[in-house]
Amino acid sequence: MIFNRQPLFLYFTLAVSVGYFITALSLGAPVSESGLTPSFFPILLGGVAIVFASVLIVQKLRAEHDGPGPSEPRIYTHLWVVVAIFVYIVAFKPLGYFISSSLFVFALLLLFSSFEKLLQKAVISVVIVGIAYVMFQQLFGVRLPTPWG
Amino acid sequence: MDFIALVFHSFSLLLDPMNLAYVIMGFIIGTIFAAIPGLTATLAMALLLPLTYTLNVETALMASASIYMAGMYGGSITAITINIPGAPSSMMTALDGYPMQQQGNGAKALGHAALGSMFGGAVGTLLLIAVAPFVAELSLLVKTTGKFSLLAFAIVVVVIAQRGRIPQAGLAACIGLMLATVGLDAMEPITRFTFGYSDLTAGIDLMPVIIGTFAISEILIQASTHTNMAAVAAAAEKIKIRRRDFRPPLSEIRKIGFVCYFKSCLIGYFVGTLPGAGGSMGSLLAYTEAVRTSHEPETFGKGNPKGIAASESANNAVCGGAMVPMLTFGIPGDPITAIMLGVLIINGIQPGPQLMADQAGLIAPMLATLLFSAVVLIPLTLYLIGPYCIKIVSIRKDLLYGVIALLAVVGSYVSTYSTFQMFMALGMGVLTFYLRRNGFPVITMLLGYILGPNLEEFLRRSLALSNGDPMTFLTNPDSLFFVVLTLIFVYFLAIRKPAKKPVTGQSE
Repeated sequence: MIFNRQPLFLYFTLAVSVGYFITALSLGAPVSESGLTPSFFPILLGGVAIVFASVLIVQKLRAEHDGPGPSEPRIYTHLWVVVAIFVYIVAFKPLGYFISSSLFVFALLLLFSSFEKLLQKAVISVVIVGIAYVMFQQLFGVRLPTPWG
Repeated sequence: MDFIALVFHSFSLLLDPMNLAYVIMGFIIGTIFAAIPGLTATLAMALLLPLTYTLNVETALMASASIYMAGMYGGSITAITINIPGAPSSMMTALDGYPMQQQGNGAKALGHAALGSMFGGAVGTLLLIAVAPFVAELSLLVKTTGKFSLLAFAIVVVVIAQRGRIPQAGLAACIGLMLATVGLDAMEPITRFTFGYSDLTAGIDLMPVIIGTFAISEILIQASTHTNMAAVAAAAEKIKIRRRDFRPPLSEIRKIGFVCYFKSCLIGYFVGTLPGAGGSMGSLLAYTEAVRTSHEPETFGKGNPKGIAASESANNAVCGGAMVPMLTFGIPGDPITAIMLGVLIINGIQPGPQLMADQAGLIAPMLATLLFSAVVLIPLTLYLIGPYCIKIVSIRKDLLYGVIALLAVVGSYVSTYSTFQMFMALGMGVLTFYLRRNGFPVITMLLGYILGPNLEEFLRRSLALSNGDPMTFLTNPDSLFFVVLTLIFVYFLAIRKPAKKPVTGQSE
């Protein structure tokens, strides 16, 4: 996974810190006659974050210079889980709780096990979603969306 | 004295069937989550957080307290029986617990763990009940500059406590603080870092942060790693535990000694009061001390019950300690107290120095529950469900994470009935996943996010009151106290070389 190679993640955090710092600068001068302004703390924070990210990058580059670390087997299931959650959220209101949740739980059951016993997993998904419905809506009074609004 | 009387009077609330049901349910859920490797009581709390909207605050806090106590104890079950600590705080328990299991004394080891947890939980809570009111009164003396220095102290300590990865902890704290700056400024009508999204005007809500940080990131971590649950379940299937073997013999308890139990409790309690230290550090220090003062240090790591007693007494005493800064200053000691703080905030209760004075009626039942969980629920749970507890690791991983994912995502919807919060939870989950995968401590990010708004506000107020003179942080006695305390902690935790690790009988 691309961000699991630490230097890339560290460059990403550095980029975010620099972006945050620049946005903070655009909020105005950090100090005015009346005291500190809303930009003071973010500017300070952005600066500190840039220092930490830079230190980590230098440390990492030095460590890599000494020799590569152990390589791990790559598993991409978590990416599919992110996609499943994203699609679930998008479909949550239009499809309603029951349909979207059943499909979501079914997808996760498949991702965390194998593409076998599909009927059994479909039934389990519906049962889980039903129990969660009772818990949320009936027991705790949470209003969950339905396809009819 | 009034507060102590109020706590003991609050035991009557546990006679209410509804309260008692939530407390017992919380304890069982906490035990199960702590016992299953990969799940934690923090995750259980994060998943149950949305439900606190519909409970009254008193009941929600009582249930949280029982989950907390159960979480510290439950990890010892799999640590002892299959050498996989269900929670990080039980790592030291496995060192002696598993050898005892291999010698055929697993049930006795579980008994020692329960006794240590019971003792630690009770002493930690009693110390909390005795000390918290005085600390709360003292906290009222801390003025604006002192409050800033105290919050800065908490963040510095939580960062430098991550020895060996201080830059990662520092950057994680900065990320948390950055998240806290999103939205409307606390002192002027200006929005920051919203990039035109009106949903961000009120800032990033606590609920998606907690659910994303603890629940969604955990699901992603589990999806990205290969845990051989079948092997774990097969190992669990072989283990037979009988109820009658749970009671540790009096001769062994005498051999462990009251001093060991009590010293471990004190270590756990004081470690708990430090932000970010947590149960694992408490049990490590208590275990180290037990080995150091033992006449037979070579027996540790080979099944010495004293190691279990020290580790479990300390990690359960952490519960009481971690609540002191949370209740008196609004500074959480660990992730679970951070979520408890969330329960208060969600219900419109402002944590801080006034909390103990204004909301004593809410806090007292929570402390009574903590004591009840330690003294009654730990031994009762072990006796009633102990023989079956080990079987819970056999639960299918796909079912487990399917249910957790559903509860987490729908739970993030509950707070505002908006899918925006669900996206925020997913975003936080992905961010936390990469932070964890790259060795960043998540607790520092969470603490930065929670303390950020007050840190900034007190900094600006302090400098406004002193006409911009930063020397105000050194000339005000309360602030100077925390500045000096920060320097002392920096010296001991970041500059001074660490003490050598204990030598035990078990090899690496």
